[in-house]
Amino acid sequence: MSIYDVIFYLFAILTIGSGYLVVTSKNIVHSAFYLLFTLFGVAGLYVLLAADFIAIVQLMVYVGGILILLLFGVMLTNKVTDVKIRTGTIHIIPAVIGTGLLMGVIVSMMLRTNWKSEPGELPFTTTYGLGRILLTDYVLVFELLAMLLLIALIGAASIARRDNE
Amino acid sequence: MINEILNSITFIYPELAVSIFLLIIVLVDLVFHKDKKYIPYISLAGLVITGILVLNQIGITHFAFVPQLSAVKKYGMMTIDPFGSYFKLLVVVTSILIIFFTIASEEVIDLKERLGEFHALIYGMILGMLVMISASDLILIYLSLELLSLSSYVLAGFLKLRERSSEASLKYVIYGSVSSGLMLFGISIIYGLTGSTNLYVINSLIQGPQINLFTLSFSSILMFVGIGYKISAAPFHFWTPDVYEGAPISITAYLSVASKAAGFALLIRFIQTGFTSFISEDGYWTLIAVFDWQALLIAISILTMTLGNFSALWQDNLKRMLAYSSIAHAGYILLGIAVLSNQGLIAVLIYFFVYMLMNIGAFYVVMLISNKTGSENIDDYDGLGAKAPFLGVALAIFLISLTGLPPTAGFIAKLYLFIALIDANMIVVAIIALLNTVVSLYYYVRVLKHMYLTKSEREQENITPSIGSLVYLLVLLIPILFFGIYFTPIVEFARSCVSLLGI
Amino acid sequence: MLTEFGKIFIFLLLAIGFVGIALFAAKLIRPHRPTKEKLLIYECGENVEGSPWVKFNIRFYVVALIFLIFDVEVVLLFPWALTYQEFGFYGFLVGVIFLLILGLGMAYEWRKGDLNWDRTKPNIPELSKILTNKNVSNVKIDEQIKES
Repeated sequence: MSIYDVIFYLFAILTIGSGYLVVTSKNIVHSAFYLLFTLFGVAGLYVLLAADFIAIVQLMVYVGGILILLLFGVMLTNKVTDVKIRTGTIHIIPAVIGTGLLMGVIVSMMLRTNWKSEPGELPFTTTYGLGRILLTDYVLVFELLAMLLLIALIGAASIARRDNE
Repeated sequence: MINEILNSITFIYPELAVSIFLLIIVLVDLVFHKDKKYIPYISLAGLVITGILVLNQIGITHFAFVPQLSAVKKYGMMTIDPFGSYFKLLVVVTSILIIFFTIASEEVIDLKERLGEFHALIYGMILGMLVMISASDLILIYLSLELLSLSSYVLAGFLKLRERSSEASLKYVIYGSVSSGLMLFGISIIYGLTGSTNLYVINSLIQGPQINLFTLSFSSILMFVGIGYKISAAPFHFWTPDVYEGAPISITAYLSVASKAAGFALLIRFIQTGFTSFISEDGYWTLIAVFDWQALLIAISILTMTLGNFSALWQDNLKRMLAYSSIAHAGYILLGIAVLSNQGLIAVLIYFFVYMLMNIGAFYVVMLISNKTGSENIDDYDGLGAKAPFLGVALAIFLISLTGLPPTAGFIAKLYLFIALIDANMIVVAIIALLNTVVSLYYYVRVLKHMYLTKSEREQENITPSIGSLVYLLVLLIPILFFGIYFTPIVEFARSCVSLLGI
Repeated sequence: MLTEFGKIFIFLLLAIGFVGIALFAAKLIRPHRPTKEKLLIYECGENVEGSPWVKFNIRFYVVALIFLIFDVEVVLLFPWALTYQEFGFYGFLVGVIFLLILGLGMAYEWRKGDLNWDRTKPNIPELSKILTNKNVSNVKIDEQIKES
């Protein structure tokens, strides 16, 4: 077991463990905070995959943005602690069958498929290559993203704005 | 490299025009803060220009944005072909009709301050649809799908003060994000299998022996979930009735025609460029034997039309009934794709043209009546035939056309569909579709019965539509009746637009 | 070999270790004699009343939403900033278009008042308004000023 394996399992356990706590926690604010560790663990996994840009995006956007938004969303509701969150288990047999089936499909798919892999050295950083691609082959995607963000901005403001009617 | 990009820009003028006008609308909304009454006209002007640009493209077959850094320098991210241009034209015409629709709709007139946003978001939808129709790269497909979805989520809940509208928006967002997440999963699996996001490259790679069929089928189904949600095909249709009922009626009409058309265009392009190995002389597509698209499509379409039609039987809200009817129509159109032939494709193209006219027309009449009565309930249509003779007749013709009876264009649309089915020896499926049409007759005629045979219990004043509404309805009615009798022009036009940029 | 992220990881471990060891050591050394008063939540010496969760102003949410969108924008600008010089004016133009579109979004939010903070307007007494009321005597004016 190399040092990379150790780090991988460390992050994997962090991700799965805190993910479990997110789902089972009785307090919604605690859930949101556990999500922080889940997202952080995923960022660590990205780093191990040499996807450094995605890891940074994960930290900046998910941990720095979406999680904060989530917390605000929770705090906007009037009675946070009074709300009873149902964490009891119902329909346990169909759920086990359903998730087990899905898990079986995904795991067998993971193991049995010849995933396309191209030999090559890991780049020192992916950001540079990404920049080149975004400015040439995917320039349309880049500009369309700007339009998407503009629409998101207008739409978000439109929904959140208080009407004086 | 830069030359290629500059060259590609000449092929995306319609998309460019839409983007520029989107920015102009936002800018006008900003600068002329007080006066919003010019905005609909600006967006109309933009659409007319876009329409002309699309018309200019109609014969062109070309790739745009061909990647220069990758190994395969043949296939672009966008495909400009007659098939795409047909659907783009359809989307633009629908959008023009919808802008006129909103000018007459009280719900939208009441928005006043927020009119700028409303049009900006409609433009966001148009941009998403135009890109989606000609996208041949999975990343672009996903991005345009999101652009379309994001704008329509907000538009569905645009009447914030109405509870149903907010509920519609919320349901739409939840269903939408689940299905787009599943689609993204499918995309990532396909990328993992082939190492490419371009549909043409994927087509050539999945013919290889090392492709795992199970994985590919799984990812294809996931892709279909994402598209099936947009076209509201059966197991993914749960959002449709609620959203259609809660959204502003102009947006309902728009979602039921334009965004469905774009979804179908995407589905056809995905199957045709991604999975077809060759097209025979008589126009039948031979798919690569990796995934049985035909079986999936037939099953889904029968399920969709049956569920749609039978659920529509019990609806008392006309908007909701039309929602279920649009689900049923999606089922018919899916059959046209399931034939997997150019014949079927022609039927789909004709069907969409006719569907646009009759569906927008039906919604328009519903809107005019709800402007006056404030309700879409079927009981409020009692005795309408006497109170508003023209509206009654117009709605009757739209509904008869939706059923598919002669002498309306709806009959021609169904006729070509059944011809394509019988040509492909899919007799059983054709019979099921025919039986479904009979079922649909019941709920369409039920509205007619309320309009003409039931006497209203309440005293209501006569509804006289304005001149503009009269002209609008005539613009929709005349083609429906005209093409119902003399249908060669649309058939010829559809036939000339059937070719996709092939392998 | 240690990558840049490896160094970050070591820092991370050090930070966690530092806090963990300090807390653990404190637990070993400190005396442990809890009483009921000691375990109460401390709120300026008063007894605790009500829940610490208060409802946030919706404004926070709007600002967070806008922040998130610009966050994504900034992230996308990183790869652009690294490479645009290679492509000369073209590369610059691509970024400028991107920024202009989003700048328009920013201007839109600004103009529409989404960045404004809802404030209750301070009630400042205006002398001119009071004086135009002719029937009012000086004494009453003084009273009015005092009141407002």
